[in-house]
Amino acid sequence: MTMASNPGQTGELLLSVENVDVGYGHVGVLEGVSLSVRRGSIAALVGRNGAGKSTLLRAISGLLTPSRGRIVFNGRTISRDKPHVIVGAGLLHVAEGRRLFRAQSVDDNLELGVYGLKLDAADYRRRLARVHELFPVLEEKRGLPAGALSGGQQQMLAIGQAMMREPVLLMLDEPSLGLSPLLVDQVFAAIMALQQAGTTILLVEQLVERALEIASEAWVLQNGRMIASGPAAQISASDELRAAYMAAR
Amino acid sequence: MDIDILARGLVAGSLYALVAVSFNILYRPTNVFNFAQGELVMLGAMVFASLATVLGWPWYAALIVTLLGVGLLTLLIDVVAVAPVLARSQHGTGWVITTLAASLIIANGVNRIWGPDPIVVRPPAPLTTDTFSLAGMTVSAYQIFLVLLTIVLVLAIEQVYRTRQGKAVLAVAEDREAALLRGVNPLRLSHWSFFLGGAFAGLTGVLAAPVLYASTGLGPALLLKGFAAAAVGSIGNNRGALIAGYLIGVTEALGASLLSPGYQEAVVFLLVLCVLLIWPHGLFGRPFARTV
Repeated sequence: MTMASNPGQTGELLLSVENVDVGYGHVGVLEGVSLSVRRGSIAALVGRNGAGKSTLLRAISGLLTPSRGRIVFNGRTISRDKPHVIVGAGLLHVAEGRRLFRAQSVDDNLELGVYGLKLDAADYRRRLARVHELFPVLEEKRGLPAGALSGGQQQMLAIGQAMMREPVLLMLDEPSLGLSPLLVDQVFAAIMALQQAGTTILLVEQLVERALEIASEAWVLQNGRMIASGPAAQISASDELRAAYMAAR
Repeated sequence: MDIDILARGLVAGSLYALVAVSFNILYRPTNVFNFAQGELVMLGAMVFASLATVLGWPWYAALIVTLLGVGLLTLLIDVVAVAPVLARSQHGTGWVITTLAASLIIANGVNRIWGPDPIVVRPPAPLTTDTFSLAGMTVSAYQIFLVLLTIVLVLAIEQVYRTRQGKAVLAVAEDREAALLRGVNPLRLSHWSFFLGGAFAGLTGVLAAPVLYASTGLGPALLLKGFAAAAVGSIGNNRGALIAGYLIGVTEALGASLLSPGYQEAVVFLLVLCVLLIWPHGLFGRPFARTV
């Protein structure tokens, strides 16, 4: 597989996870896992429940520290950095279950999205307007506590909050979980809009088929090991791999 | 029954509420109770009394030095006694012992430097502790000022939580890990909260000095009743702390007057016990109801 190197540097490696081991205490979860994401692309990380997808995202965002291996983001090693330093470098992780600040208003949650950034008022308004344009419901419900929103609206708020920061790389963990098909369409449209605006995306998604449709590359995790990677279309076409990532139903 | 009880209760209650708020300021981003808060209030009273009364500094200069001094000492408690414990385990409870240790060190240090004699502190003009009659109660201008200022201070502290840093503190309090993922550095917030909570404790000491005198015995009583006010008013809830402070202050004054001053503590803690048995999270609910 070859990738053209464009003037916009599309195709260069933005994130590379090199041979990492990650565990909780003495319990190892990931062993020798590698993964890479090209700038400007959508990459999908797939695997069954418990394969270690969320653990890998947590290691990348600094919530967990790998016991071995290296994580490089945007040319700089981040494997030992604290989460707020990694966020500051432009790598943002929207965790599974949305994890909004339920007691605070929709507007306050969006404001917390830019925590630590020094934005002038005009820039802040521009970012807010962009979020409101994509998710008008967040403008309608701006004063309500985030906990009062429906599941779908909360997911939009979580994505909107991430958009406020305009991250270089956005990691989304199960953005469609618990959403109706109509809302799933909206969330996937938002992800594609983000990519077109220049954000690189690493997507963990239970709706594997849909994730592979929008992703250019895919990585397959099984029992804490990366068992395959390649163009999303190839991964999608392989019956053998399908067994590895499809939930046993 | 003597209606002065109400005035006495409200004045004492204001001080309990202020101590409770200082607990809450530190608790929100760290889930830690700083058991040195009572002695920090005492230290604030002693430092202010020494500067203003003994050395004759103008009250505002003495106030600024007291707030900065107690704030910085509290920051030091965080750096030395709390942050290292939490760095090992976020859910560890070693801070119970380390903050108590800090409390004892401060109490012993103050005893060595100042000795046990109380220092009389006069409020700055035009406020006085001279009493007059108001609606059948014997009160002083300073007492009225103290009760009103307490309300203003509680509302002002609530405004701090409307700033972006304040919202980040609430975010850490609700879901620490989620706050980390938004770029919040919790250590920085906790240092700021310790400084602010310490300065607030120092201010409480300054305000308490004209009514209780500055003495080394101030700490333990204010610690216990301030903590009770925080618990009854629901931990982390400053308006709850204000109301609970008044409730405890008035109950204490009633107990002293109807039974005997020897029973006032028993009456207060009987009330606290009853409230917490019926409402384990205090009168004003959990600070953050989370549905999972």
